[in-house]
Amino acid sequence: MLVHIRAFASFREILGKEADLEVGEGSTVGDLLEILVSSHQGLGPAIFEEDGRLREYVIIMKNRERIDSLEGLATVLEEGDEVAILPPVAGG
Amino acid sequence: MTGEGPSPPGRKILIAEEGFSMDEAIEAVKRDDAGAVVAFIGTVRDDGIDSLHLETYKEAAEEELLAIREEALARFGLLEAVVIHRSGRLRIGDEIVIVACSAAHRREAFDGCRYILEELKRRAPIWKKEVGPAGERWLEVGGDPAHDPARGREVP
Repeated sequence: MLVHIRAFASFREILGKEADLEVGEGSTVGDLLEILVSSHQGLGPAIFEEDGRLREYVIIMKNRERIDSLEGLATVLEEGDEVAILPPVAGG
Repeated sequence: MTGEGPSPPGRKILIAEEGFSMDEAIEAVKRDDAGAVVAFIGTVRDDGIDSLHLETYKEAAEEELLAIREEALARFGLLEAVVIHRSGRLRIGDEIVIVACSAAHRREAFDGCRYILEELKRRAPIWKKEVGPAGERWLEVGGDPAHDPARGREVP
């Protein structure tokens, strides 16, 4: 199934702005990030701590909802979902 | 006032690709039952840069700004509030953001305006990149400076 990936600011410079990615049925956000990390040099240390936890200041959204308020990295993806990878925000 | 870009009639929240009218934003919050209008305007400061590039996750930013606005209306008794935030490339002195609020009295207007601004800075998916003689640099508050020395500078 296809999911849509969007990345912003410094993460966009690593990942590119937008892409559709083929993932297996039942894949989680964590599975998706693993695929992206293995195919994009520099992404791993940018979003994960050394122990494999997501860095505290990295925001991942599924369909514009933070995964913290869903099931975290275990959040299951569905066809057509939009996953966004956001560095710390700095507006205003 | 500068810019002749999109103005916010009817729009309480706007991510603007071009310059916006500060006068129109302020006019939009005026009401007969309001005795106070407070507007905060953020501008591009000359920190030895040539320009500032603003990137937004537009749909998510608009949703977050709408939520922040609703919170401020409820918590501070604001009568009206308009928030416009730029995206794209800005030069020194350009307006980055306007938060305009009206209330019956000054205290609610000041407090509500400040709340919207501080929450916007903390929550809205918007990023700034400084472009200058020394190169380009993302300002990512809260990032880990040890991981990337170019990141993590606190913006006062």
